[in-house]
Amino acid sequence: MSKSRQTPATLNSFGPGAQALFHIVLGLFALLCIVPFIFVIIISFTSEDSIRQIGYSFMPLSWSTQAYKYVFQLGDALWRSYFNSFLITTVGTVLSVAICILYAYPLYRKDFKYRNFFNFLSFFTMIFGGGLVPTFVVCKTLLGLSDNYAALIVPLLFSPFNVIVMRTFFQTTVPRELIEASTIDGAGEYRTLIQIVLPVVKPGIATIALLNALAFWNEWFLSLLYITKNMDVIPLQYLLMRMQRNADFLAKNSAMLGADAAAAARNLPSQSLKMALVVFIVVPIACAYPFFQRYVVAGLTVGSVKG
Amino acid sequence: MKKLLALVLSLAMLLTASSFALAEELPTITIMFHGSNVTDDSAVLEAVNAYIADKVGAKLEVVWGTWGDFDDKATNALLSGDTGIDMVFTCSWSADEYNTYAKNGYFVKLDDLIAEYGADLVAAIPESLMQAATIEGAEGMGIYAVNGFKDTATQNTWDVNVTLLNELGYSLDDFKAMSFYDFGELFAKAKELKGDAFYPFLVEPMVLERMVTGSIIVAGDSGSTNLLSLYLNQDDVSAEGPEGNVILNKFATEEYRKFVDKMHEYYEAGYVDPSLAVAETSNDTRTNTQKTGEYLIGTQSYAFGYEYSADVLDRGIEVAFVPCTDPYVDTTASQGAMVAISTASEHPVESFKFLNLLNSDPVLMTLLNYGVEGVHYTLNADGLVEFTDERASYQPWTNGMGNVTLLPDTAAEGAGFRESFKEYYASAKAIPALGYVFDNAEVANEMAALGTVAAQYALALDAGALDPETTLPDFLAALDAAGMQTYLDAANAQLTAYLG
Repeated sequence: MSKSRQTPATLNSFGPGAQALFHIVLGLFALLCIVPFIFVIIISFTSEDSIRQIGYSFMPLSWSTQAYKYVFQLGDALWRSYFNSFLITTVGTVLSVAICILYAYPLYRKDFKYRNFFNFLSFFTMIFGGGLVPTFVVCKTLLGLSDNYAALIVPLLFSPFNVIVMRTFFQTTVPRELIEASTIDGAGEYRTLIQIVLPVVKPGIATIALLNALAFWNEWFLSLLYITKNMDVIPLQYLLMRMQRNADFLAKNSAMLGADAAAAARNLPSQSLKMALVVFIVVPIACAYPFFQRYVVAGLTVGSVKG
Repeated sequence: MKKLLALVLSLAMLLTASSFALAEELPTITIMFHGSNVTDDSAVLEAVNAYIADKVGAKLEVVWGTWGDFDDKATNALLSGDTGIDMVFTCSWSADEYNTYAKNGYFVKLDDLIAEYGADLVAAIPESLMQAATIEGAEGMGIYAVNGFKDTATQNTWDVNVTLLNELGYSLDDFKAMSFYDFGELFAKAKELKGDAFYPFLVEPMVLERMVTGSIIVAGDSGSTNLLSLYLNQDDVSAEGPEGNVILNKFATEEYRKFVDKMHEYYEAGYVDPSLAVAETSNDTRTNTQKTGEYLIGTQSYAFGYEYSADVLDRGIEVAFVPCTDPYVDTTASQGAMVAISTASEHPVESFKFLNLLNSDPVLMTLLNYGVEGVHYTLNADGLVEFTDERASYQPWTNGMGNVTLLPDTAAEGAGFRESFKEYYASAKAIPALGYVFDNAEVANEMAALGTVAAQYALALDAGALDPETTLPDFLAALDAAGMQTYLDAANAQLTAYLG
């Protein structure tokens, strides 16, 4: 008995009681995370009658696929915006990761003369923003970001927060000797970055790629601001958000609008339809997680003391 | 390095390459509407542009704002001086509030344009609407937006399920003889007949409060939760109210206490659906239940002809709207839907010509509102409008557009509807303080604080969910602490000055 306690596998383990406790706590936590999703899925399959009578419930009175039928009837508008969501997320993530790396890398290099200035330049925008209207003027009037895909991608391309994360990542994982060695071996700056440094920081890249992908996937405010006429470019999130905001507005202003509001409420989607759209939005990004997870976990542990 | 730079630049260019059309001979004017549900406007705009090319000398583009996004889009466009938006919807309750934005110089003063190009407009809409739009703006007293001729009077009604009322052994006349304080016996019987899960009293709590206490919205008051009130003379709306022309804290009156006491009694007895007392679910519950006809008495802010709308006809019950008072014209209703020209517009003259035509020409109004004949609607043997399935892709908000009296009658409304509509609103009387708008700029901080306090209590109290005995004193104390008196004094000082 006492001998087996000495084996490396059990050296760091807890007693069975503590183990069980941890499992229960973590299990409950995991359950808490997953329950809302299950609830959303249940509601999306709940019949409207049931929602009207007993509200949201894990055990609805009757089931229905009406919401999904309606979603599929949305046809072009739905698939188009679904496609847009994918396009914006893919293009946006690739570009923003590239920009982030290209900005963060020089900041990590001690031999870059202006690193303090550029550090400050990006950090400054984290603290002071220009405000909504000036940003709108710059984007729309100056840069022509309106009614096109660029309007939904460009404003989010650069994130100072991600640059700081990435810079720190370079600092903690890439030893400066590595750069020196590759320089001595005759590699130019690009080769050093692409062939030597990038493979080392893969976990970092995966982390910011995930952050960026989430940001692009969940973005709807840019569409609200910059897309006025060309509804062909709006992402799925905005389609859902518009329904939600319409409902909210009518709820708040029904007293002012009177009969108009009641008539307009007829055009609003049912509760189950909203949840069906949520399912459409959540599923792809939830599927993306496992691919990133390996790197994210690696990213969390990397940088700690190694043997 | 250069190659990479070139690559990035060309990518950026590709992305920003927006859809610049080739230069056209006619200038393009753009209008932003509110509350629309439009997914395909190509057929309509083609017809509109063919029609207005000579008459207006411009090409029209429309930004179809929806209920949810209009406020952000309109204020952004105006505040940023966006030249891409020439005309924008405005009114007393949207974020680009008429009086404020006119005062701050975002809307073009129209008086000269009206004198030069607006003869048709002046002939088509009532003088009273021009009056209601005449305010003190950035360039002095004048008209800063074209006021839409729509349901310009307010009238709150009881929405009665006559089918159920008859089942309970009452006639509509019996009901008309009752007041809010006598509904108890009706509710008790309905509850007995329909079972415990049935809630007979389906109200919009804030509207109910106005119906019972006779209070009126004061234009310029805190948004969704009103704090101030003038009181209506319920027998003759054009006469002074029982309190005189004084603005009161609506929650501190005896009438209000009496109302919430009764409402709490109804609530405790199970006559009111608890979800009506929660802001997030209140409106959803009301509209959803209305659709099914599972109620006895409801409240409805009424517009002439509402009983003919699909919304009411689809309920599967006989519905009657029993008015509380005559329709009255107040500032909020008379500035309920307008269209202004942005000062950033590069084509104010063409824009005005367009608005003039839209508000006086039945062809253009019908086209823009109901769509293209033969596509979005057809005319039946009696010459009445019947909508086709295509209408689903083109449903603008009718009342947000302008002079709706120009529209032809629909089959659902019946022949002669628009004529009666005009008469109905032409006969509506104005309240004594018509035109008064509270300029809340000097007490903006108090208003924000008071709004937060009221949001916490008002809806639940109005719906009867809170016990007034314990919560009303707390509520009033919280309002006082948030500066209610300062707020009231400012409003009253302005009202006295306005009435002269």
